[in-house]
Amino acid sequence: MNAEVLNEPVAVGHIIKGEFVAGGEQVYGPPHARFATPPLKLNDLVWKRSEPGPAFETPLAEIIDVLVEAGRWIASDPDGLVADTLQRSSQTSPLPYPVLSRSFDELPALFDRAELEYQVERELGGPDILDGWRQVPTPPSGRSHRVRAYPPRIVHIIAGNAPLASALTIVWSALSKGVHLLKLPSNDLFTATMLLRALSAVAPGHPTARSFSAAYWRGGDAQVESMLFRPQFFDKLAAWGGESTLRSAKNYIGPGFELVAFDPKTSISMIGIEAFASDESLAQVADQAATDATIFEQQACASSRYQFIEGTIEQVDRYCAMLHEKMAVERQYCTAAGRALPNNLREEIEGLRGIDDYYRVWGDYAGSGVVIRSTEPVEFHPDGRVVNVVAVPSLADAIQYVNLATQTVGVYPSSRKAELRNALACAGVQRIVDIGNAIEVERGLPHDGFFPLHRFMRWVNDEG
Amino acid sequence: MATQTSASKQEASNTEAELPPLRRQLIEMVFDPDKAFNLPEAELQQLRLKAAQELFLTRREQIPLLRKRAEDAGIDAIKSFDDLVPLLFAHTVYKSYPKQLLDNGRWEALRQWLQSLSVSDLSNVDLKDVKDIDDWIQRFWDVGHSLLCTSGSSGKVSFLTHTMGDRARKTRHIKYTQAWPFTKPTADRPVFWFGPMKGRNSAVEMGITNEENWSRPGQTYALDKQPLLISEVSQTAAMRTKLANGTATPEEIETFQSNQARKATAATEELRVLIDKLLDMRHQPLFIFGLWAQHMMIRDRAYERGIKDGDFNPATVLFPAGGIKGLNLPADYRELITAFYGNVIQIGTYGMTEMAQLMPRCEAKCYHVPPGLILLLLDATGERLLKPEEAIDGTLTGRVGFLDLLYEGRWGGLITGDKATQDLSAKCACGRAGPVILDTVVRYAQAGEEDHIGCAGTIDAYVRGGLPS
Repeated sequence: MNAEVLNEPVAVGHIIKGEFVAGGEQVYGPPHARFATPPLKLNDLVWKRSEPGPAFETPLAEIIDVLVEAGRWIASDPDGLVADTLQRSSQTSPLPYPVLSRSFDELPALFDRAELEYQVERELGGPDILDGWRQVPTPPSGRSHRVRAYPPRIVHIIAGNAPLASALTIVWSALSKGVHLLKLPSNDLFTATMLLRALSAVAPGHPTARSFSAAYWRGGDAQVESMLFRPQFFDKLAAWGGESTLRSAKNYIGPGFELVAFDPKTSISMIGIEAFASDESLAQVADQAATDATIFEQQACASSRYQFIEGTIEQVDRYCAMLHEKMAVERQYCTAAGRALPNNLREEIEGLRGIDDYYRVWGDYAGSGVVIRSTEPVEFHPDGRVVNVVAVPSLADAIQYVNLATQTVGVYPSSRKAELRNALACAGVQRIVDIGNAIEVERGLPHDGFFPLHRFMRWVNDEG
Repeated sequence: MATQTSASKQEASNTEAELPPLRRQLIEMVFDPDKAFNLPEAELQQLRLKAAQELFLTRREQIPLLRKRAEDAGIDAIKSFDDLVPLLFAHTVYKSYPKQLLDNGRWEALRQWLQSLSVSDLSNVDLKDVKDIDDWIQRFWDVGHSLLCTSGSSGKVSFLTHTMGDRARKTRHIKYTQAWPFTKPTADRPVFWFGPMKGRNSAVEMGITNEENWSRPGQTYALDKQPLLISEVSQTAAMRTKLANGTATPEEIETFQSNQARKATAATEELRVLIDKLLDMRHQPLFIFGLWAQHMMIRDRAYERGIKDGDFNPATVLFPAGGIKGLNLPADYRELITAFYGNVIQIGTYGMTEMAQLMPRCEAKCYHVPPGLILLLLDATGERLLKPEEAIDGTLTGRVGFLDLLYEGRWGGLITGDKATQDLSAKCACGRAGPVILDTVVRYAQAGEEDHIGCAGTIDAYVRGGLPS
């Protein structure tokens, strides 16, 4: 009987145009992680293009008020819904509970008024272009033109490796005033729904709340996606990844239905010889590099996986030992212990142990971290708190290993960024940061190589 | 800590030196397979443990990596099978060379890497003016080192040293055990080998072994129009690198893709011709090796020609093999293929490239362990031996490790990626002695993660579509 109790599918609710629908009869997931959603009614998931969305003409100031209020609601958790969501999420999240819990603690900060206003200012030059038609400076032709950032209709494939991804999507989407359908990821079935319930809680029936739906269907399910992914219903597909959905999405992308890809990426670090100036500097760099490597237990796109470092093998080995030690430290976005390494990575790393002419390995497979030193990058993908430290004669020699899948490069010392940034940009990099700051995403700056809010909008002209 | 002199190591690799008596005894037991596969476990295990102890003491002095592993684990003798576990190499060890050695043609450094995993002294290999990786491999064969290669799905090639003696013993082992308990090979029939027969790949080695064991001279038919070149595997990998780092030109990509397409077309045509040849000769006793998917193609072609199920000679030996991952086969493909060939002798073995003493499958579809093979069923992580008291309903399920006592060229201890179930019963359902491995072996896969979406990824997402998988 126990087995049956354990196998009871977890109820996963949907949001349909602001209304919460409790989980029910549609069962998904592998045997050890089954969950049940309400039946999917495709008609409920679309907004008619013949009518404007609920918030198209709602003033931005009012929307920001609702968001700020929702942030407060999440922080105070009057109904215990946030705490409940945290518990439920921890059942399916790949993140350890303490990391998930601290990430939940950070959710209210994403609804901060100053941050929201800064983002609108930086990306759109102010709220007027969202609320109405902005007169543009008179062009050389002498004609008179106005432009509006018109609210879009977007399907979002959100990432589930960290709850912040859901929050970013919802905040950006609310600012856009458009209508938004969120496809829930199986590794985070609860956060987005909870955040949307927060909107309804602080402003019942508000146009912004009614502008959102969130539902689960299996990524790549042609029966669902071939019906929804149509220009008649949506302008854009904003995807954070999801191999099967992206692969199927290629069939639907075309005129009138464009892809906004938050590309799946890898991140690295570059550490100059300056790190060896003193024991203190080495310890500090190792600590910052460990911070970058362990972001969300190294499951994020910004998590550093390869670290290129200038120095002799003896120096680099000293760094590796220090890095290994610092990786086993409890931080905001990681635990001290981590989780046991999956078998495929064990197999790969085990093959390098004892091949002393080329590799040295620090650490075991318990989860707190493994460091592999080599003179060229290993061929497997370091993951689950595995860092490959690659000794290079100079940081310029590391550029050959950078490609268009490289997102963030953490550099030490920061004075070396200037000499590297053009070459890194040329090779495909999107973001160069001081080492230790990889997770410190600043809103209002480009994200994954573009201004997300700007990119979400439909740009419409009124030309004289 | 006496080490062998270079000269004596060379002798070991180049002559058919006798194996030490105990290992020889165990390995040669299969000359009488009915007896060898029906020996009481307890008796065998004692002999195996003693042989493992002897082998360890010898190899520790010869293979630097083994010595290091033993020192790290604090093991100076094999007192129980548990002591072997930390000494098993990961299968990835045999591809642990830095890729640049191969990409940049640093042949001497690649030889030195191989030496650290080998017993034989490889310094007699002439590496002057080596052209490419196939040429490098050939130089080893030229002076009597049987160097085998495998290409995994990663595209990185593994290299395994054997002595010529290892190779002969492996062929001999397969001769005595492969078709047991159903029949014995007599080299008197046409062999259909639906795989390559030229090149230095492990699949080719298996083809040659089966040719030696089963084929009437001159009557082996195989897919041998295009030699299986290791350099082509690495060319594909090199193309992937060029696509990733942005140095591939459109014309290079076009040339590469059209070469791939041309080869695929030629291979399809060659396969069609071979299938027709097989169907023409189906009333003779044959030996047929093919992958499950190829057997489905043979069946399709037979139906096209109006050939009905069960129209093969009953003395034909059918040896289907291979995984089906990523292939679009019907769920009951095994039953369909078995019905198609009808009343023939279907055989099966369990093993892998790194194993010489493959395990034959009995009438009850269980794999029996040869006396010269120490099979170690480990926990999922490969860190410890499973204990009999952990058995559920008399079976243990875990990761397959083994020490193959046959090898003179390298250490025969390995941890595989396979998940297997061992039936601990003293008696197999076929009536012979156990324990046996059930016919349920699968690869260890990642725990089910369905539809997880994350923002982290690799360059593969960006070069996808440009290369065959």
